[in-house]
Amino acid sequence: MSTRRLLWLVGIAGVALGVGVSTLLATRHFGDQAGGDVAATLLIGWSFLGTGLFAWASRPNNRIGALMVGVGTSWMVGMLANTDIPLLFSIGVLLSALPYAFVVHLLLAYPSGRLRSVLARRVVMVTYVDVLLGSLLFQAFDANIPDKADAPANVFLIADNPGLSNAILIVVTGIGLALVAMAGVLIARRWRAAPRVQRRGLAPVLWTGCLFLATLALTLVADGLTKSEELEEAFGGFALIFFLAVPYAYLAGLLGLGWSRGQAMGALMGGLNAAQERQSVRDAIADSLDDPRVVVVFKRPERDEWVDAQGQRVELPQGREVTAISRDGEVVGAIVHRPSLSDDPELLQGVADAAALALENERLEAELRARVKELQESRANIIAFGLAERRRLERDLHDGAQQRLVALSLQVNLARAKLEDDPATAARLLDSARDELRQALEELRELARGIHPAILTDQGLGPAVEALAQRSPVPVEVEGVEEATPLPSQVEAVAYFVVAESLTNVAKYASASHATVRVRRMDDHAVVEVSDDGVGGADATRGTGLRGLADRVAALDGQLRIESPTGGGTVVRAYIPCASS
Amino acid sequence: MRVVVADDSVLLREGLVRLLAEDGFDVVGQAGDAEDLLRKVGAHRPDVAVVDVRMPPTHTDEGLRAAAEIRERYPETAVLVLSQVIEPGSALELLTASAEGVGYLLKDRVADIDRFTEAVRRVADGGSALDPEVVSTLLGRHRRDDPLADITAREREVLSLMAEGRSNQAIAEQLVVTERAVEKHVTSIFGKLGLTPAAEDHRRVLAVLAYLRA
Repeated sequence: MSTRRLLWLVGIAGVALGVGVSTLLATRHFGDQAGGDVAATLLIGWSFLGTGLFAWASRPNNRIGALMVGVGTSWMVGMLANTDIPLLFSIGVLLSALPYAFVVHLLLAYPSGRLRSVLARRVVMVTYVDVLLGSLLFQAFDANIPDKADAPANVFLIADNPGLSNAILIVVTGIGLALVAMAGVLIARRWRAAPRVQRRGLAPVLWTGCLFLATLALTLVADGLTKSEELEEAFGGFALIFFLAVPYAYLAGLLGLGWSRGQAMGALMGGLNAAQERQSVRDAIADSLDDPRVVVVFKRPERDEWVDAQGQRVELPQGREVTAISRDGEVVGAIVHRPSLSDDPELLQGVADAAALALENERLEAELRARVKELQESRANIIAFGLAERRRLERDLHDGAQQRLVALSLQVNLARAKLEDDPATAARLLDSARDELRQALEELRELARGIHPAILTDQGLGPAVEALAQRSPVPVEVEGVEEATPLPSQVEAVAYFVVAESLTNVAKYASASHATVRVRRMDDHAVVEVSDDGVGGADATRGTGLRGLADRVAALDGQLRIESPTGGGTVVRAYIPCASS
Repeated sequence: MRVVVADDSVLLREGLVRLLAEDGFDVVGQAGDAEDLLRKVGAHRPDVAVVDVRMPPTHTDEGLRAAAEIRERYPETAVLVLSQVIEPGSALELLTASAEGVGYLLKDRVADIDRFTEAVRRVADGGSALDPEVVSTLLGRHRRDDPLADITAREREVLSLMAEGRSNQAIAEQLVVTERAVEKHVTSIFGKLGLTPAAEDHRRVLAVLAYLRA
């Protein structure tokens, strides 16, 4: 059922309930004129019902509307206590205090509709139990409700025991007073915690509610302690007036909230205009929301990454303290604020919408800073990586080729010395020297290929990748390279190393039976992808190989992404921009 | 003359052993890393240890550190360090601690068999050997008010050979002059540089190196 339809049904049922109860009241056979009771039934019942439906319709996810409908409905049912059909009368008596429990719930949940603390939830729960169970027990042992001679029979009576029922009444009333006091404290706390911008909206309901709770408490005290009918009736009258005022206070609160929201927006606009000169947009938002700790974060375009105004990467907190800033339907940033502000989503959305435009500059600046940071990092990493590479090369040269050449020259010299006296030994030495020479050449060739493969320079990425695939011990399929090339030479070089390093990793760690290399053009990017069906679990943050690759790719302003679920193979994908060519 | 050879490259080590053996040395031990070297030197107390600078585990300066330790713990054992690269800093550090029975040569020098074995022998006898590359680097340094500017080309050759650790006799042979002529050059050089002449070769090396380093 749609909310709209439900609301119509509730509305019609509520009106019918009011008419029904009024009819019963008007036709009863005891007591005074029924006019006052009918008026109280309809005025209070329908006021809560109407306001509640309005609130429910305008904020379907907020429970306040439903609670007000509950107050109105239970109030009308409770008025059955003034009719003369025994069963209905008894039900009315049983439920006559329920609307007060609903009001306590409403006040503690206002304005979000949620009970935020454990204490508040307990208070509300105990209140419901107190009014329902208390009434039931009392009714079970007291024959004379109400204290009138011609009243109808109490159908819930088990045994008439005035002593017991009196004790029950005292306990129930005592608990009720304690609950009212606790509710008062919770409301006062709520008020103190509220930001200025919310107080104007909170004031009418909270203050009316407190006055109602206070007069209700006085009525209970007057009833229980003084037994003074006049006093009880006087307080009861005030309580009723404040009770009736609650729905209207709610409407006034909406107006006040709108006003303060307008004021907040005005402050924001003023702040934004000033922002060009001295104040940041963040400060303007913080002022307008009266939350000095507001943080504005930006979403990086095409990435799932958030940065602050300095371009520093940040984690976005989850939940109620975040309001997204959207532009043209795309999330561009977020306001991180205190959770209590979420009670007024309209205000937050308004601020977020108004800020979206003004934040554009700061967003671009943050993105720029983030990019500069990235480039700085990748440049530093590239330098470090380059140094490490050079160290490795130097070691390879000295410990490999040079060592062989030294040994070689030693052998040649020894052979030279033996040439005349011992030609056989000289020949053996020369044979060995020839082998050394061949190996030294082989090592130099390998080394040179590691620095920059000749095939890449001479024939381009396609044949170079094919050559890598052929050298790989794991079967490799190559797709799309011919169509995607030629690419700018620096892009081809990085693409080559992505493939080379990835295939080396596949051979070393993946235990794969098959690998695929794909190269394609996507918009103005080259996408290089190496996937395998191995064990997965690769991590770019560990091991110098993948990190070095990521830095090489980042140096061209590209991105390296690695998907490697444990047991699910590995996909290394590099996105390298190549606008030119 | 008893030798221990340390190099992690088996190939080169065996080449060295063969070369030294053929030249009449008694190779009493071979080592593949610094730890092994110290153990063998401790056990055999050889006259000289020929040590590669880079050895496992880090392949950086294990040999140099082992050399310093040998000189400290077994003063009767001379050390000749072989390096793949020329690093005047570490060479001088090694030699200025004590030039007596210490040598530092570029690894390539082993190919020149006669000169190499002569250097091993010289070091084993308590002399010193410094690679000509290191010496020429030191001589090539620019100095303000350079007294080396007053030195003749011949004297410069003598100074280089002196810094390498050669004796007057060896220098005379190398330059094909009489020992007497070498002595004259040496006196002249010491005079120009303001150094006190020293009797023993290794002290002379120290004085020259200290001067060149300053």
